[in-house]
Amino acid sequence: MASSDTLNTFGAVFTFAIELEARLGAYYAGIGDAAKSRAAEKRRKKLERVRRENVVEITLEPILGLSADNYKLDLRDGSAAGQAAAAAAAARFYHEAAPKINVRVAQRALERCGKEHDTQH
Amino acid sequence: MSRTVKNYVDGEWVDAGATDFTPVHDPATCELLAQCPDSTAADVADAVSAAKAAFEEWRGTPVLVRAQAMHHFKVMVEDNFEEISRIVVREHGKTMDEARGEVRRGIESIDFAMSVPVLMRSDGLEDISSGIDETTVRQPAGVFAAITPFNFPFMVPLWFLPTAITCGNTFILKPSPQTPLATEFLFKLLDELDLPEGVVNLVNGGVPSATALMEHPDVTGVSFVGSSAVAKIIYETCTRNGKRVQAQGGAKNYIAVMPDADIEASVKNILGAAYGCAGQRCLAAAVAVGVGDAYDQLKDELAKQVAALKVGYGLDETTQMGTVISDAAKTRIESMIGQSEGEGADVVVDGRGFNVAGYEQGSWVGPTLIADVQPNTVMANEEVFGPVLSLMQADDFDDAVDIINQSRYGNAASIFTNNGKYAREFKYSVNAGNIGVNIGVAAPSASFPFGGQKDSFFGDLHGQGMDSIEFYTERKIVIERWV
Repeated sequence: MASSDTLNTFGAVFTFAIELEARLGAYYAGIGDAAKSRAAEKRRKKLERVRRENVVEITLEPILGLSADNYKLDLRDGSAAGQAAAAAAAARFYHEAAPKINVRVAQRALERCGKEHDTQH
Repeated sequence: MSRTVKNYVDGEWVDAGATDFTPVHDPATCELLAQCPDSTAADVADAVSAAKAAFEEWRGTPVLVRAQAMHHFKVMVEDNFEEISRIVVREHGKTMDEARGEVRRGIESIDFAMSVPVLMRSDGLEDISSGIDETTVRQPAGVFAAITPFNFPFMVPLWFLPTAITCGNTFILKPSPQTPLATEFLFKLLDELDLPEGVVNLVNGGVPSATALMEHPDVTGVSFVGSSAVAKIIYETCTRNGKRVQAQGGAKNYIAVMPDADIEASVKNILGAAYGCAGQRCLAAAVAVGVGDAYDQLKDELAKQVAALKVGYGLDETTQMGTVISDAAKTRIESMIGQSEGEGADVVVDGRGFNVAGYEQGSWVGPTLIADVQPNTVMANEEVFGPVLSLMQADDFDDAVDIINQSRYGNAASIFTNNGKYAREFKYSVNAGNIGVNIGVAAPSASFPFGGQKDSFFGDLHGQGMDSIEFYTERKIVIERWV
């Protein structure tokens, strides 16, 4: 494993996604966008469920080529441009993480989260 | 002073009458988490008495009500999924993904138990003679016990308990004294179900309590998972005492890799099979047999990927392999690696003397790869129960099957190939109870019996699947005529 591959397990990927949505939910709430905050919370809960239901020992394999450093969110900027940048970073994470997951149901959940973020930037 | 784990008997948390205790450590941090009492024969007798007293009321509770209790139980486990997973990591040393996978498997067994109202149904035939009908009914058989191992402290008890009680039996669990905390949590959840007192009971301890369970005249049957040596003793003791018994033992699981296999993808899966749970599972891949040209490719790719595995504390999500259970296990595993080296094998990746920064006191053995292993050596024959994968070379497919079938164990075997003929022949010829094709860990889901042959299983009916319905019920034939 390269030292930068911090998202190197099924759990690491999903926990990162869950925390990402939690941070985005707080961010949107902070700038008064209740609808986007609710959507982030809904995704967070879905990702928790997917992590819980799809961790299968017979398919656990190392994941290569994903680093949390590549998906840092700058949540200080609440402007439209700042929101678009955050959504773009999140979308990029989901689109790059999904193909690395070898359980189709879990992969699909990431893809759908990516699509939802696509519509916001 | 650490807290002492309690027993759960007749619906109450009670102190064991123990004078000996086993310390329960987090094997990565060495933190003392608790101490496990070595319950006495008297403690076991109390549990059996409670289970026996509860049996008549519980068997008369409608099966749909019993199944509904499992539905509530499942919801509780789901609600506490992450907390249970963390407990498993802390007492065992495995990774979070492995712990989550274990809890998920446990839930699958609860799901299976919800099917008992269908699976317990039997059949009948009218007019076996003029005006005479014959039917079969399945009835619960009494008090059952399970003696479970350290390596899956949450999952293995659930192979047995949900099906046993949903069939209408009462139950006593004796978990490993090394890992009693996940089962303690499991019983906290069971306590919230408000089952009749005595339906489920927990007795902590070691050999004395296990022996007392096997010898108690009011225990109908015993399930066991552990080493082959102990499984054989369990089987013999239980049968001598007139009990049903299913005793799952150890393993030496072989994986054949054919030259036509995708080596890189195969190795990725073999890694999980060999080093998952630090190799401490009865389905762990122990020996990879490279067939023909596959051997050198397999060795090179394994060496590359094994060395890249991240070993660390299980609560760190980026950890890909955790600790072994104890320093005693570390010493034993390292000794076996040394013995193999002395026999002439090539230790390609050496996990001896491994350490993790910040957790220097932990029971670490690094992932180990040993090549050029020969038949009739320690790594070809003995169960390591640690993160050690051995490599053997076979001339061709038939040679690989011969090597695999020489093992005294028969728990699991896998083949990696893109050739359907080899896959079919492997399934047909290899003497193992669980066969994987392009799957390194051939772990049966809850609705299938957990296979096991030769010295890997002692008994007739396996755990899980329809075998478990057979094990936990008595068939009664009714022949009736009304004139």
